[in-house]
Order: sequence, then structure tokens, then C-alpha cells
Amino acid sequence: MHMIEVTNLKKSFGSDVILEGVSFSVEKGQTVSVIGPSGAGKSTMLRCLIDLESANDGTILIEGQPLLQNGTYPHERQRRAICAKMGMVFQNFNLFPHLSVKRNLMIAPLNSKTLSPQQASEKADALLKKVGLDGKQNAMPSELSGGQKQRVAIARALMMNPDVLLFDEPTSALDPQLTGEVLAVIKELAQEHMTMIVVTHEMGFAREVSDKILFMGDKRILEEGTPDEIFHHPHDPRITEFVSKIL
Amino acid sequence: MDYLTEFFQNIGDTLSYMASLSVGMLDGVKYTVGLFFITILFSIPLGLCLTLLRNSKITALRGVTGFYVWIMRGTPLLLQLFFFYFGLPNLPFVGDYLILGRFQAACLTFVLNYAAYFCEIFRGGILSVDAGQYEAAQVLGFGKWQTNLKIVFPQMLKVCLPSISNECITLVKDTALITAISVTEILYFAKAAVNRDTNATAYVVAAVFYLVMTYGLTKLFNWLERRFHF
Ligand SMILES: Nc1ncnc2c1ncn2[C@@H]1O[C@H](COP(=O)(O)OP(=O)(O)OP(=O)(O)O)[C@@H](O)[C@H]1O
Ligand SMILES: [Mg+2]
Repeated sequence: MHMIEVTNLKKSFGSDVILEGVSFSVEKGQTVSVIGPSGAGKSTMLRCLIDLESANDGTILIEGQPLLQNGTYPHERQRRAICAKMGMVFQNFNLFPHLSVKRNLMIAPLNSKTLSPQQASEKADALLKKVGLDGKQNAMPSELSGGQKQRVAIARALMMNPDVLLFDEPTSALDPQLTGEVLAVIKELAQEHMTMIVVTHEMGFAREVSDKILFMGDKRILEEGTPDEIFHHPHDPRITEFVSKIL
Repeated sequence: MDYLTEFFQNIGDTLSYMASLSVGMLDGVKYTVGLFFITILFSIPLGLCLTLLRNSKITALRGVTGFYVWIMRGTPLLLQLFFFYFGLPNLPFVGDYLILGRFQAACLTFVLNYAAYFCEIFRGGILSVDAGQYEAAQVLGFGKWQTNLKIVFPQMLKVCLPSISNECITLVKDTALITAISVTEILYFAKAAVNRDTNATAYVVAAVFYLVMTYGLTKLFNWLERRFHF
């Protein structure tokens, strides 16, 4: 069974077709990077996977369970249950500004009652340590740098023990000198075999950590392959052009 | 020497006159403060409910609440007060069941009127909450109500605090309107004393009462705004 299996995913905004039949799969423990030109539909595809956008057609299986089956969604309750297995990290962090760093981490498991307050507190401390922010427990998000905020956001997503983590350009809102610290955390997760899909413009990172790269363009996946295949032996000339421009 | 004694005598007389006026007005404070708290207590939750209806997906609900807000904000509070106190009992058929006491009518009018203002204040506050906050809440498994209660409302409140503070201070002063339906609040006593003694001092004393209350509120909200800074 694939961790994620997407077949013929279609999405339009009004009459604008954004995804015209996207298919791919992700195996357990894989890190999959999604690259491609701006406006290709990378974010839209990722948002469909976690139900932030409703697709128009296709099938999305998460650990074998249908979030979307031939264009129909199951009941709200099941939609939520399936998505609960995934976490997402946003370009703009989206931390809760009125809560301290530690509260940001604890609030979700407390809401869903998956952890007791005691367990949530311990887990929050452990994860903050893991992302290198031990000691920032009581800081407010507004007191953090962008890189620190994004590391808090990653820790917050990990609090729910997701089977899959989705990243939408996690470093695009950061100053260049801060991207490293965030990418290091993601690399560490990759080494621990967390299943991840990372939309990114960081080609060096994609080449280094990805098990598989999806190249999106023209409303579909133009090519998928290992970093070596995508960066050095692409079949599609559009990829050659994109890669030569960005590297 | 005589002048000086007379001078102090005068001051003493004025002060004791003011003190006697204050004692009378203190009796009116219960209506002023009572109306204030009842209005705040009910109009804020009601305003919040109206905001949610005003942002509802159902067009009819949005329309009805929009109409309500338009009526309540578009007509004088004094007119509404007269309507609820004098007007309702004269309605055909149902009028007999709608006879309200003076203070009851005042409370009802103020709650309904202020709810409309709070509705608009909260609506602005909710619009200021970033869409990313809802998305983050959703992917973390929050339900709709959890998202509202724990994520949206606190952020909304921060944005709205200065406007809420303004409304509260206006409310203190608006309570004086109910003197028009003869509720014996502060201004009612002041007016009576001025007429009785043909001396305007009572108005000054009443003004001090209002100033003390609005000053206290200003301080309270300053403190709240500092606490709600994030
Ligand atoms: N909510 C929306 N309503 C209408 N059109 C949208 C919406 N969201 C995205 N689009 C359109 O969909 C297309 C794909 O957008 P998307 O954000 O998925 O691209 P992307 O590959 O993530 O680009 P980038 O690299 O710039 O983030 C764009 O043309 C965009 O204008
Ligand atoms: Mg994008």
C-alpha cells in the first residue's frame, strides 16, 4: 500500500483549470520534493491533499483510505479523520500569535484530547529541544525570527504525530541566512524516515534530501524521478530550461 | 477678618451643599451603573451572535442582521427608548402584553441598540484575522467552534479593544438619556435639584460622577490593552 496515492486529480477555480489530471504516489518514509515554475499548481495540489481545497475530480488515497474517490468526498467526519493523519507547514508559518510558543504546540493535542496536559507539556518540551528552541517555551511568536517561527511551526505539526508532513515552500518567506536552520530540521526528519512532501524552490535541498522529485508544469506532473534523473537527465526540455535557470 | 470668615463660610456652605447633592445622586448611581452593566453583559454576547449571523453562509440571515444593524444604528437611541417605553403598549393586539417598567424598557433598548454597534465592531475584528489562522487550525484538527473560541475570538478581541473601550465610555454617557423616561438616575436628580434650588451646582456634581466613571473605564481598558498585547 502506498502512503499517498493520487490518481487523475483535477482542480479548477471557476473556469480556470489549475490541475488537469495529476497522478503520483508516495511511499512510507519517502521525502518527495515538488518543484516547478510559479503558478504551476504546486500549492493547489498540496492543499487538495489535506483538504484545504476541494478537488473537482480524481482519487486521493491516504494510507489506503479515500479522501476523494472518483471525484466524490466522503462525509465530513471521515474527511477530517483521514486528514488528521497529516500535518502541514505553511510558507507564512501561521503560528497563533496570541499564544506562547509552548501553548502553540500544546493546543492541538489538548483540543483533540489525544494527550493529557502533562503528556502534551513533556512532548512540547522534547520537540522544542529537537528543533533547537529549548528555552523559548514562554516566548510569544512575535518575539521570534522567521527561522525560529518556522521551526516552532514544524514542532507544532509534529505534536499530532502525523504519518505524513506536507510543506509548502517552508523557507520562501525567510531571509537567505535563516533558511539553513529550517532545512536542517527537515533534513533531520528525512533521516528519521518521516514521510514528507515538500514544495520548494530550494534546488540544492531538493537534490540532496529527496527520494523522488515531482516536476510540475503546465497543470500536470511533467516528470517524476530521482534527483539525478530530474537534474541531470530530464526528458522534457522544459525541465532542462527550468533547472538551468535556477541552478 | 470678616471677609475671610465669610469666604471660608461660603466655601464650607458650597461644599456641604455639594455633599448633600451627592448623597441624593448616589441613589441614582444604582440605575446608571445597573444599566451600564446589564447593557455590557447582554449586548456583547448578543453582538457576537449577530456577527456570526452576519458572516453566515445563508444570504437571508446576512440580510436580516444587516437590516437590524441598519435600523439600530440609523435611528436615535432616544427615539428607540421612547418607542420601547411609550410605543410598544400602544401596538394593536399585542400592546397589552408589552407594557414595560421604565428601567426594564431602558435595559431592553440599550441592549438591543448596543448589540448592533458591537456586531459591527466584532465583524471588523473577525475580518482582520488572517485566513492562514483558519487553515492552521483546520490542519491541526480544530473543529469550527474550537477555531472560533480559541483562535479567532482572542485575536478579534485584541483588534476590537480600542473600539469596545470607546463604546463603553459612550455608554456611560448615554445612560443619562433614560432621564427622559423618568428613571431616577444621576441626571434626573441633578435636574430636579437645579430646578428646586435654581442653582446649577448640581450639574457640576453630576458631571463629576460621570467623569469618575469614565476615568475608571479608561484606566481599565488601558490595562486590558496592555495585557492583550501580543
Ligand atoms: N483561491 C484561488 N482562486 C483562484 N485562483 C487561484 C486560487 N489559488 C490559486 N489560484 C491560481 O492557481 C494557479 C496555481 O497556483 P498555485 O499557488 O497552486 O501555484 P504554485 O505552483 O504554488 O506557485 P508558486 O510557486 O508561486 O507558489 C495560479 O494561476 C493561481 O493564480
Ligand atoms: Mg505555491
